[in-house]
Amino acid sequence: MAIYDLKAPFRDEDICALRIGDQVTLTGEAFTCRSKLQRTVFDENKKLPDRYRPIRTLIHTGPIVNVYQDRYELVSFMPTSSVRFEKWGARSVREWNLQVIVGKTTMGPDTMAAMKAYHCVHLSPQSVSPNLWLDSIRILGVNWFDEMGSIEAPWLLELNRLGPFVVDIDTEGNNLFDEMDLHVQENKLNVYKSLGIPEDFKPTKLH
Amino acid sequence: MIQQSTLRQAIDQAIVRGATWISEDVLAALEKAQSIETNPSSKKGLDQTIRSLYLSRDRQVPACPDTGWPLFFFKIGNEALLEGGLTALKTLTQEAVAAATARGILRRTMKHPLTGYDPGNNIGENIPWITTQFVPGDEIQVTYAAKGGGSEVFGGAQSRMVAFADGLTGIRKFIIDAYTAATRAGAICPPSILGVGIGGTANISADLAKEAACLRLIGSRHPEAAFHELEVTLKDAINQLGIGTMGAGGKTSVLAVHVEYAYTHIAGISVSISSNCFVARRGTCCVHADNTLEVRENPNWFGGR
Repeated sequence: MAIYDLKAPFRDEDICALRIGDQVTLTGEAFTCRSKLQRTVFDENKKLPDRYRPIRTLIHTGPIVNVYQDRYELVSFMPTSSVRFEKWGARSVREWNLQVIVGKTTMGPDTMAAMKAYHCVHLSPQSVSPNLWLDSIRILGVNWFDEMGSIEAPWLLELNRLGPFVVDIDTEGNNLFDEMDLHVQENKLNVYKSLGIPEDFKPTKLH
Repeated sequence: MIQQSTLRQAIDQAIVRGATWISEDVLAALEKAQSIETNPSSKKGLDQTIRSLYLSRDRQVPACPDTGWPLFFFKIGNEALLEGGLTALKTLTQEAVAAATARGILRRTMKHPLTGYDPGNNIGENIPWITTQFVPGDEIQVTYAAKGGGSEVFGGAQSRMVAFADGLTGIRKFIIDAYTAATRAGAICPPSILGVGIGGTANISADLAKEAACLRLIGSRHPEAAFHELEVTLKDAINQLGIGTMGAGGKTSVLAVHVEYAYTHIAGISVSISSNCFVARRGTCCVHADNTLEVRENPNWFGGR
């Protein structure tokens, strides 16, 4: 497993060289996303503002931001679960030309297929350490703040070696957590045994 | 008589501690897990998390941006008198949540479930949610528990009716299967504090599980031997699964298993799990009858545990 400091704009070959389990820090511009942004753009057909178009790093997060007259203060930041956005994942990769998605809980098969086709990776945090990340993030601005509110509005961020995060989906279609799950499922059989649960035990159906 | 302004201060303190402060029992469990971990990813993840948690305490900023559903647990003394009466609990908690949200101590997390409308202050129908219990004495104690979306939404909270025919085997299998599924890809931020509720109606077991996860101290034990044995065997078993920190693999997959129970109907056994993420937060503050405040580490919700 290697550690990469990726600096935007990313070269396609650098993204494709990443493999599940690699560690990555990110430098350059990114924007944040939750379902309200994707619903607005993909379901209600509103155009993503031009300022966002060249940015190819998306972070699933709901930050705490204090808004003052002359500045924004990022109070807390943590990547959030990506799988809830699976409905729009493939379109996001394709239509927003994404190369990197940062989020928790990995993503589903449709998004993984798009990531393989369009060369995009998914990165996950290995800790809950917002205070170690705050110094690596500067807020550049925001659009649709009034409509979406401070958690769901797409914040424009400047990242400076944010991370490290682990690659959990690579451009070959591999998923780190699918591999982890195989081990856990194997261990579960031993756990059943230690708890005296027969392998063929079937719970009584009550409804 | 307890003044409303004093109780409001206690609620404010409970919220601040509940959002920014990690209790000693949780920190000790995380540090122990970090010290024995051999998986590099999990060891590093625990180390970074612990460092961040100390910074949250120092800076008084949220330990995680998901400051959760605003849940309050009140222990009300049988002889406690509150200025204006106990209906003030609702308005005082609402005011305190709105003020903490405006300060950035709580995130603007609560939405209308159908429209997604954001009131901007975490106040809405049935939110904040208040649970009360009446105890001997003349004081009022409030606990704020930050029950995060990660631990609640992605499988960390599940229920099942188990037949008496399946008994303990059915109960154990449901818990192991449910927890394993919920921790895949680090969904519920493991290693969690796993609360288990057994018996009662579905909502009773779910409440017991949530309170066991959020309000009991790590290291506490159920006083009845059969339930303590269940806590120990489940904890040991889950820690053999190799889930680790944020699903990265490792020795510690659960920090604690807390089981609570209620007698149940002969027709079946409701079993619920409720997981609290490893950044488990709770803040407790008591108002004595003389209007002095006391911050407490232990909510002592289950009478001695």
